[in-house]
Amino acid sequence: MVAIAALTGVLAFGFTRNPKEVRSPLVNLPAPGFSVTELNTGVPLSLAQLKGTPFLLNFWASWCAACRDEAHLLETAHRRWGKDAKKFRVVGIAVQDKLEDARKFARRFGKTYYLALDNSTGDIFMNYGVYGVPESFFVDANGVIRYKKIGALTQAVIEEQVPALMGTGPKPKAGD
Amino acid sequence: MQTTNAGWTAGWTAGIALLLFAFLAGASFAQSEKTLQERVQEITRQLRCPTCQALSVKDSEASFSKQIRGKVRRMVEEGQSEEDIKAYFVSRYGEWILMAPSKKGLGLVFWLLPVAALFLAGGLIGYRLYHNSRKYHKETPEDAGPALSEKQRAMISSDLKMYEEDE
Repeated sequence: MVAIAALTGVLAFGFTRNPKEVRSPLVNLPAPGFSVTELNTGVPLSLAQLKGTPFLLNFWASWCAACRDEAHLLETAHRRWGKDAKKFRVVGIAVQDKLEDARKFARRFGKTYYLALDNSTGDIFMNYGVYGVPESFFVDANGVIRYKKIGALTQAVIEEQVPALMGTGPKPKAGD
Repeated sequence: MQTTNAGWTAGWTAGIALLLFAFLAGASFAQSEKTLQERVQEITRQLRCPTCQALSVKDSEASFSKQIRGKVRRMVEEGQSEEDIKAYFVSRYGEWILMAPSKKGLGLVFWLLPVAALFLAGGLIGYRLYHNSRKYHKETPEDAGPALSEKQRAMISSDLKMYEEDE
């Protein structure tokens, strides 16, 4: 009876969990280093250069449908909070994409924030434990990942996380 | 003439030695390559494809899995151990990336649970059998006396005699 009760309890707890939500072990840990070059200008950017600046690191691809849904939200966040690049930045890294396709996507959705390609071996997406695209990491000024969003971003998530990173909003709940 | 013959012999010998060396070197390279490939397959068999349903990185043709296979291959070539490579992926993706739970911490509970369930079931069945056996013996105590009375025995003997006479 005890065993049956314990098994029922475990199963009941399991049904309350969302199997698609896998908490990242990287949350509250320093963001893995990366080094990329901008899609159009070739301007290099590394994690070290972002020290002292909170940023939203978005993994995307031109072939990804959900990335189209969140494209305008990222651009809005960049224009709203990223006027001063020392206070906040949006950085997009395209994974498993072709340079020309990524450029076309950026033009089509009017992206003006920093965009780059992952390297051909996919080291950056693996270092960040990316399951698929889109995925976004909210990194604070100390380079610590504070929140990870699997799937398309929402307005609510951005409005909760970005001010918290910038120190102008309340502390948000834990991430995915 | 002797010099020419000696030159030919030396040339043939050198040629054969070169071919033999190339063959052995090739075989050795193929052997090490196979071992490397086997190690990569062994490790990727234990890693879950991030974009698939219940498929290992080894068995998946998803582009993410292909890149993970490449990463594992590079790490093996760098001399990293299987445990190091698995630890790298667990540190990025969590225990979820492993096809089977690790044999420590909470993972150990999942490994031991089926064994514990088997022991529990065996214990319950054993207890039930032992309990029933005891109950049966209690219902038929040894000092309960003969099952048949003298009168009944006499009746049986008499019946049997009747049959014997008929035959």
